Amino acid sequence: MSAFFGPLQADGRVPPRQQTRVAAFLVSAHGALARQFAVALPARFDAAWQTELNAQFYRESEIVSLLMRATAWVPDLALGPMAASWEMAWLPAPIEGIADHTRAQTIHLATLAHAVHAGIRPAALLPTEANANDPFVMALRRIEFESGRLLQAQILFLKGPDLLPFRDAVSATLERRHAEVRRLWHETLAGVGVDLRE
Amino acid sequence: MPFLSHGSYRIRYELDGPANAPAYVLVNGLTQYSELWGAYRDTLIARRFRVATFDLLGQGVSDKPALFIDQDDHIAVLHRLIGELGDGPVFLSGISFGGLIALRYAIEHGARLSGLVPMSCFAELSPQLLLIGNALRTGLILGGTGYLQDLLLPMNLSDQWLKPLLDKLDNVKRQGWLVNDVYALQNLMESFLDFKPLTPQLSSISVPTMILNGEFDFLTPRALHETLRVEIPDSALVIIPRAYHAFTLEKAALTADLLARFAEDVLAGRWQGNKQVLIAPEDAGGDFSPFPAGYDHLRAIPVHRPAT
Repeated sequence: MSAFFGPLQADGRVPPRQQTRVAAFLVSAHGALARQFAVALPARFDAAWQTELNAQFYRESEIVSLLMRATAWVPDLALGPMAASWEMAWLPAPIEGIADHTRAQTIHLATLAHAVHAGIRPAALLPTEANANDPFVMALRRIEFESGRLLQAQILFLKGPDLLPFRDAVSATLERRHAEVRRLWHETLAGVGVDLRE
Repeated sequence: MPFLSHGSYRIRYELDGPANAPAYVLVNGLTQYSELWGAYRDTLIARRFRVATFDLLGQGVSDKPALFIDQDDHIAVLHRLIGELGDGPVFLSGISFGGLIALRYAIEHGARLSGLVPMSCFAELSPQLLLIGNALRTGLILGGTGYLQDLLLPMNLSDQWLKPLLDKLDNVKRQGWLVNDVYALQNLMESFLDFKPLTPQLSSISVPTMILNGEFDFLTPRALHETLRVEIPDSALVIIPRAYHAFTLEKAALTADLLARFAEDVLAGRWQGNKQVLIAPEDAGGDFSPFPAGYDHLRAIPVHRPAT
């Protein structure tokens, strides 16, 4: 197995089976973030930081929309159970050391978003010979680029002064999230012949 | 691929060369990865050294803490790696960010070292370096690793090196882009947010020290290296002709030869730092020249040094 997509089709496109599996994972992860940001989004803002919530919600929705249209979807029978396990993984889990429910929910969302935006690098799966004019290739590059920008809100929040008293609990939760998201991502890729494990 | 443990994190390292030989430990710059020392490994092993390279915490194949990287962690990792080398002589060298880590190691654990080679290095953040660092961090945030590389390449390498690669720069950048993640680079850069100048502690470095500085280093110019030369007692400042900040990439054969010669001189008792200012040869094996007497090595034009 290789750490990249392939073998590519004759026109440099990623094989549809690999497109489908990867796009399904990304739709699941970014879709979950879009839903959770939507729930967190108040109808009327009373603080400047809430404008960022708005941006995060629409960018996540844009990523889902982009993948729905740019992917060469093919039937994949394994997707059902895999998607169910992904969706379970995106659900909030108790955070040790954080008793306040609202704060715990906020940290959950921020750590999940950090893990997805920082840990999932779909463009890094593209071999150098991938067709730059293919919409799926362009979509993956765009998602990775936008993820780097979206990530900044999570970094600012998680490193910010409000959470400094909870630094150890936040760091531990984030590392667990990263490990979980990374495991699911690696399993998803391994199923279509891409091996990122060291 | 061997790994060291640092708490719950894994550090990828590599040891090559004869096990009982004097060792060189090479510390990466911020956006580097250990494979970039390949030419040094070959040269130093051929000169009968053992060579240790590793990816810093947050770099390359080593684990990447999600939120915080403390510079103390790098010192602890380095100490553990050097502990793997046994009791023989150890020479420590690092480039840029890695040079800073090497300096800190020499301050805290100097007794374990036989020699130190900080390259393209700094002990404090001058206003220029602070602002450039901030701008590079903003570039990383807004444009990703690729944009940071776009900024660093022309700043740190010469026209002669870049010209034949102009239409292949994507290939040059690709491995660094693949192995380095935005959040991890950002964590490394943000480890400077509470950086304290090392200058007051430099005089405690008692090991022989060869400070290497590129003639045209824009990112960490001569004045930053001068601080090291003035403060470290047994030091010499060696200016690499026609070199920029990343001369370890551009002039690997020359730099590897300088590292080997320094360690050979120290081991043979020939090294005399004397806070000299020297000009390195253009090519490996050539002779050093003393900086012309009476002229100010901090200037870019030949100006007589002010009388003291």
